[in-house]
Amino acid sequence: MRSRRHIDPEGEEHGIDLAPMLDFVLNLLIFFIITTSFVREAGVTVTRPQTRTAVHNENGNILIAIRSNGEIWMDRRQVDLREVRPLIERLHIERPEDTVIVSADKSAHAGLLAEVMDEVALGGIQEVGIGAGSSEGG
Amino acid sequence: MRLRRHFDTTESTGIDLAPMLDFVLNLLIFFIITAVFVKELGIDVARHGGAASGPASDKETGSISLVVKQSGEVLVDGRTVDARAVRANVERLHAQKPDWGVMVTAEQNAETGLLVQVIDQVREGGIQNVSFGTSSR
Repeated sequence: MRSRRHIDPEGEEHGIDLAPMLDFVLNLLIFFIITTSFVREAGVTVTRPQTRTAVHNENGNILIAIRSNGEIWMDRRQVDLREVRPLIERLHIERPEDTVIVSADKSAHAGLLAEVMDEVALGGIQEVGIGAGSSEGG
Repeated sequence: MRLRRHFDTTESTGIDLAPMLDFVLNLLIFFIITAVFVKELGIDVARHGGAASGPASDKETGSISLVVKQSGEVLVDGRTVDARAVRANVERLHAQKPDWGVMVTAEQNAETGLLVQVIDQVREGGIQNVSFGTSSR
């Protein structure tokens, strides 16, 4: 008993017990792993048209931006219209549940938007949304 | 000395968690940084008349035809209407033909902003079944 009391203040008690903290941190880690969606950002900002009925798309993880001058941006670089299809095919194989949101600038041409949407559909992703801003959310 | 040795054996019964905790914390910081919580807003539209769409099979039910012109004009069933009046027109037609969808046809050089505005108004007017196509050059 005396020997026990002697050990406690000197040895075992001088470090903090890390186990509960580790539990907590691991839970936090698992949460972030699960919620991480790895969004493929387009890489440029476009002025998107304001809408009232736009909805959040949970799987809309591949973003394509069309600038007003007709440039197409995808995965943080400018791509040619003909590159969209192979890129989409590759991304579709990597993460089959992802869908595409094409964000076109307000003054971009509708014809180009349609062509990009066609290329995406030909690449294997049928669910394509048009990116829009929310006039309510700001 | 004897006391010291006794004390050592009690301490080494537990695993040292500190290196693991360092590693896990690094991993955690990585995931916090890469996590993107912003979900993109979008409107879902179908395509018609494109390279990827099959033969038109939904012809048994008709559809309301909207045309968005390059000049900024909007035509609802062949009549030019104001861009802000699309919703009222669509609501009226929707009341007459509740099972009809809407086909929005844009000219090649029409502005996307106007197109999206029109689609938005159609959706506000109560029709979710909107398809979008372009007129041939």
